[in-house]
Amino acid sequence: MPSQDYSQAAKLSERLEQRLVDSIESDFKTTRRAVLGGLGLAGSAVLTGIGRADSDESHGPGDDSHGNFGAAGEYRDTDFDPHEFLYQFNTGRGEQENVPQDIYEENGRTVREFTFQAVDTTVTIAPGIEFPAWAYNGQVPGPTIRAVEGDLIRVTFENLGRHAHTIHPHLRNLNPNMDGVPTNGPGVLNTGDSFTYEWIAQPAGSHFYHCHSLPLKEHIHRGLYGAIVIDPDPERVAEKPEEYCEFHRSQITDELRADLVAEAKSRNHEYPENDAVNEMVMVMNGFDTNFDGDNEVYAVNTRAFAYGVGQTDGKGNWQAGETKRPIQIDKNQRHRVYLINAIEFDLINSFHTHSQFFDYYDHGTTLLPTNRTVDTVMQCQAQRGIIELDYSNHDSGLYMFHAHQSEFAELGWMSFFEVV
Amino acid sequence: MSKPNTDGGANVTRTERPLGLPRWVAALLPILLLGLIVGGFFAATPFASLDTGGEPLPDVSVTHTTLPNDETVILHVTNNGPREVTISQVLVADAYWNFEVQGAGGDNTLAPRESARVVIPYHWNPGWDLGVALMLSDGATVHHTIVAPSQSPGLTGDLLLTMAIIGLFVGVIPVALGMLWFPFLQSMSDRWLHAILAFSAGILAFLAIDAGFEAFELGEQVPGAFEGTALVALGIIGALLAVQAVSAWRKGRAAAGDARAQSGLWIAYLVALGIGLHNLAEGLAIGSSFALGQVSLGAFLVIGFMLHNVTEGPAVVAPVARGERPSVLHFLALGFLAGAPVILGGWLGSLAFSPTLGAFFLAIGVGAILQVIWELWGMMGRNGRAASALNLVMFLVGLVVMYATDLFVAL
Repeated sequence: MPSQDYSQAAKLSERLEQRLVDSIESDFKTTRRAVLGGLGLAGSAVLTGIGRADSDESHGPGDDSHGNFGAAGEYRDTDFDPHEFLYQFNTGRGEQENVPQDIYEENGRTVREFTFQAVDTTVTIAPGIEFPAWAYNGQVPGPTIRAVEGDLIRVTFENLGRHAHTIHPHLRNLNPNMDGVPTNGPGVLNTGDSFTYEWIAQPAGSHFYHCHSLPLKEHIHRGLYGAIVIDPDPERVAEKPEEYCEFHRSQITDELRADLVAEAKSRNHEYPENDAVNEMVMVMNGFDTNFDGDNEVYAVNTRAFAYGVGQTDGKGNWQAGETKRPIQIDKNQRHRVYLINAIEFDLINSFHTHSQFFDYYDHGTTLLPTNRTVDTVMQCQAQRGIIELDYSNHDSGLYMFHAHQSEFAELGWMSFFEVV
Repeated sequence: MSKPNTDGGANVTRTERPLGLPRWVAALLPILLLGLIVGGFFAATPFASLDTGGEPLPDVSVTHTTLPNDETVILHVTNNGPREVTISQVLVADAYWNFEVQGAGGDNTLAPRESARVVIPYHWNPGWDLGVALMLSDGATVHHTIVAPSQSPGLTGDLLLTMAIIGLFVGVIPVALGMLWFPFLQSMSDRWLHAILAFSAGILAFLAIDAGFEAFELGEQVPGAFEGTALVALGIIGALLAVQAVSAWRKGRAAAGDARAQSGLWIAYLVALGIGLHNLAEGLAIGSSFALGQVSLGAFLVIGFMLHNVTEGPAVVAPVARGERPSVLHFLALGFLAGAPVILGGWLGSLAFSPTLGAFFLAIGVGAILQVIWELWGMMGRNGRAASALNLVMFLVGLVVMYATDLFVAL
């Protein structure tokens, strides 16, 4: 659900550009030709960059002599769209073109098969900043895999990169050969090698996969990671409810059991109850662009300020950018965020919502919240969870969410929901 | 086809048609061949097999910053590397900030050796260090800390006037005061006059050492592309040889019987020129300290340089203490030549300070001073023994006096 379609954004840009030309013409008495020439360089940066110092009107948005923080300019590279990535799940039914996949039955078990390729590429992490990345299927974060508890996930992995790589899943994995570490099974896969990993999808939750080659920090931070969402199976929940909450089996009432089953259905993409929920994947990550062991760019889903506003005057007047715009959400819907911390070089990361308190499920392995009514959660490296948001009582408008490490926020991990 | 010739006493055989070619062809031939070889290198790329795909690292330096008002930070940057670089983002105090690149042909890309200004709207706090970083398109960062920021003066009539008055007090007046020792110098014996000349040489020697170190220090801030150290060396040697050439020409005229060229006035002018070039650098230092907003430092420099420059007066007039007293106009000209460049330096320093310019001017001053010392030594040697005990002691006293007055500047 794009918050603003591109043609609309283009029209807005054009209108603003015309207004800029007009105002400059009257103000400075330059020739129209010189102004138009100058526009080419100021271009979209002035018009649509977040808080770009604005010369088009004295009282318009962005006219703030103190300057505005935020990455200047728009993203030119459209290969990866963080707005698409938010809603992009791969369940074996061919959701994503660059991820060959299939779904079929085998020995009474659902198999979801995917082909992953590690490649060396570059990703755009801030406008004009290219990061030399190692990536699964050319994208950072890697493709999100979604399966139902008990399914078999089969990943054919082919290494086309210059370095040796693996895939290590954060799942309850009963076969050490499938752990994706240098010491077990196939070990690291050298350039050109391939291997088929098979994992049972368990336990239910919001999970993580990453390369486990050494040096670890580099292989992870360069971009070899992604999300695995395991949906709870309502039938199993009905049978063993005590595994999905903190209560002992003896404490489980029929009412609680029914609640847990209902929650499991809302989490399971194969049930219609799931359609009522707006589900999003957010992978918190960072990039060390100058190799000093410290991140220069922080983001959720790779691109700094991707879910920021295009331009604001700090007085509530804002405009969406073409590539930097808030996540538009329907206030009548329930919202669920699969949150994963893939940061390197920093011990922790966090998620903070403005004017909102949410329920949090640590690792997403329970069907009752582990943290109720909080507005900030902390995650250490590789920690993840599920956040459930309800904006039904809120006025429409922009609501911030960001890392509450101010440094991370100002270096890119700063976002907005636009509640409509 | 050849005839014997004499040149400087040596017998030389000159050929009218070398290798049987016209002279102009013989002159151009090596250049032509060199062009062919260089062209061949470009065309044939003989080193292609050695290319490992390694790319030169981006090398960008922030030479200096200006803070025109409390809401703007301007970084002056130069691309030192062999490849063009693009400034994609700017960080202020570890946060992404909006910015504009001015003077790079309309985009954020700097060609090799190109300089530009990065203008950042940012409400900075006076006295609080501000860390800024440029982020290049490949993610490389260029960090720069603005220490104790304070507002830089803009180009106003007020500033020009202030700098002129400061220059007058720092340069012209102290030198003129020093020149008032002239009648006293005239009453001295040859022996003591030489001692005073040695004292002047000591003063100049200290200035040369002081300014030399400063030039090399400043040379380190010069963007790598301009080779700061080499530039300073060039400035010193260049100025030394240029002034020496003028001096040698003067000696030639004197030998040919030109009376004016024989007088000490020439040396006095040379001394004034050397001191003037040195004072230009002093002006740069004062002006740039105001430009960088360090007014208190500027004030100290003013007081220090005033005390310092009084001692330059006798150095200027000592060479004319013998013989006929020059006209008052000459004294005015000498004082102006030695002192007024402070004003010029102050203007340059406060308006367009750059380490490159600063280091180069300092180096020129050093070269000119070295030549003057050479000249003074010769003058003493012609009328007696230069390295007498008294002269050496006075030379040392000159060094020490300068060191002592320099402490005021260093405060």
